Amino acid sequence: MQALWGTVRAFNSTLYTATVQVDGSLSVWLEGVPVARGIPAAEVVPGRRCLIVLAEPTNPRDGVLVAVFQP
Amino acid sequence: MRPLPQPLLETQKRGAGVPFLTIAFRRREGGVERLRFARWYQGSEPTGPHAIASPGDGSLVRARIAGGQLLYQRVASPSPTSDFSSWAALGSAHRAVALAAKGHRLLLAYVQNDALLVRESSDYGATLSAPSVVLPAPTGAMHLAAALGAEGEAAVFLATSSQVSVVRKSGSTWGSPAAWPHSLASISGLAAHHQGDYNLVVTGVDSAGRSGVWALVYGDGHRWPKGAWSPMWVLQVAHAGSQVSFSSPSLALGEVYRLCFLERFQGMVSHSRAYLTHMPLAAEFSDVIWREPLPTDVGEAMALAIGPGSAWLSTPSGLWHAPLPGPSLEARGHLLAMEVQEEPFGGYMRLLLDDSEGLLRAAGLMEPGAEVEVGIGYQTAAGPLASPLPCHWVEEVVHRWEGGRALVEVLARPFWGLVEAFRARHQFAWAEGEANIFGLLAVILGRAGVPFSSLSYSAAAVNLRPAFALHPGQSALEAVRRLLAMVPDVLVPVGPYALLKEPQLQESPVYSYGDGHPIVRAWRRLEPPSANRVQVFGKTVFLEGFLWDSVGQVGDRLAQVRAPELPTAPDVQSRLEAELGRLRRTPMAILEAPPNCGLELYDVVEVTETPALPPGRYRVMAIRTVFNARRGQYRQTVSLAPP
Repeated sequence: MQALWGTVRAFNSTLYTATVQVDGSLSVWLEGVPVARGIPAAEVVPGRRCLIVLAEPTNPRDGVLVAVFQP
Repeated sequence: MRPLPQPLLETQKRGAGVPFLTIAFRRREGGVERLRFARWYQGSEPTGPHAIASPGDGSLVRARIAGGQLLYQRVASPSPTSDFSSWAALGSAHRAVALAAKGHRLLLAYVQNDALLVRESSDYGATLSAPSVVLPAPTGAMHLAAALGAEGEAAVFLATSSQVSVVRKSGSTWGSPAAWPHSLASISGLAAHHQGDYNLVVTGVDSAGRSGVWALVYGDGHRWPKGAWSPMWVLQVAHAGSQVSFSSPSLALGEVYRLCFLERFQGMVSHSRAYLTHMPLAAEFSDVIWREPLPTDVGEAMALAIGPGSAWLSTPSGLWHAPLPGPSLEARGHLLAMEVQEEPFGGYMRLLLDDSEGLLRAAGLMEPGAEVEVGIGYQTAAGPLASPLPCHWVEEVVHRWEGGRALVEVLARPFWGLVEAFRARHQFAWAEGEANIFGLLAVILGRAGVPFSSLSYSAAAVNLRPAFALHPGQSALEAVRRLLAMVPDVLVPVGPYALLKEPQLQESPVYSYGDGHPIVRAWRRLEPPSANRVQVFGKTVFLEGFLWDSVGQVGDRLAQVRAPELPTAPDVQSRLEAELGRLRRTPMAILEAPPNCGLELYDVVEVTETPALPPGRYRVMAIRTVFNARRGQYRQTVSLAPP
């Protein structure tokens, strides 16, 4: 289990996935991260901070964006 | 097992040979020279388009455009004291210039009033032909790259703001331009080199707004048909909005392909930095495997050239030189003691060397990062013979003064040390189906500077294409461990390489201990594996397997594996067998014997005669080789497991 902090860069409301700039990656972003359905689409706004939990650290499809927040 | 010459094989089997060891230090990583550039020139020339080439006579040729003039420089025998400030004016030129050299030939291409012109030389650039118009205006050329093929063949690639095209020369005739089938929103640089095919690197921005460094091939009948364009392969990418961009690639071939490019970050504190990277040994250009780019302390575009004995980096106002190949140091006569531990995912090498005469310090190669190659062998009837252990890389050097002697202690690690030291600089991610395990290992090991190939491989290593990610700051060792956990394969260090191997249950022994090679000591340990019942949970399939002998002894000990990346029953079955294989290979015996100079990790050996061990086949899971000149010690300890 691994938790990653990041910044939302884009959100696909149809697939309910986000593109996230994981902290430490200046130029390349993680695409297609599943977003918890409990988070309203309107809250997944580019620029907001977020938390991703990965069950398997090297499999980005085996994780979920569990929180978005405005620090 | 490494093949051994017959006299060495016969000597080691007698078990009482006189040790013979070799040691060489080189400034290399993964078998590739670590270039150490020294600045040879610093001038005040203005920034602008420029190019560099080194023809076959070792001369150095540079060209640049300044004030609408094409300026040309050739230094016949470059040295730190050469004059790199003299430039000959060759007439008007604008926007772009390119140079290519091959043997005695040299090609200079440039843009003049939007037309593409070339000048050629067949005497290493000493004299140039009259300018020849290859493409009349308007070409729209913003960037140029030139490459020389076989005798009489050449190509000039030109990039407009968003398109690349090529003009080829065959015999004495330049053909018509042919455009590539790709598109970019903008192009910021172009580089080319011919080796079999015309190999290109392009920088710019794609239609999604991503900045990138892309590789592609324009076929010349080697791997790609003549005149065919390959797909564009991503070498480095930056997402739209990241404020990172790339430009000014420069490509050269030495022992491997090397590339220089400029990265620019325009965030709150902006910076530009030239980066250098290279392909691992034995990688083809179209494999698109590059080491993680290494930063330089130069903040402007640099041109790269490799010629006889030298690598060059150049800006209009600067010139840097590195010897290629670099220095090496033979330290055989200095070795006092050695201990080498070879094991999965780790291992080390400790050396104690006598440096009373100061020769090792003076050579300047006893430093962290140096590549060490140790050969172990014996004095044989055919003279001294040795077989090279896997390469190690120095992590620590301690200079000691003791009892009137200067001593040097060296700690080095095998390729696993390079892999562990690599931390992802940015996000790496592959979508499901994008790359197989073999390809993922090649890319990740390549980024760490480790060349990768295979002795054998499983079907899973080729067929399994999982979603995979390496997050910023994460070690490549963790990624490689996780990839190898998905397949039955293992990595074997051989020379500077990491080689994939699928251990087979029925593998034939490659060597025999007992009757064939004396055993000094043997231990056998009876211990259950960490688990003897494995459950694998695939995407929708669940399977379990058992090591029944162990279950009978100690009851079932469970290991559960989550594998949501495995969609089918055969995939899950393959993973289950891999897990059981790993558990089966729990070390259970140790042999001590005179060194077998060719023994490698994961070899299957036969033990024919020892009271401690039942005769049979065993797999080598660790090797410890010890040499101590003062104590007359030369021994090898081998950990064995069921095959």
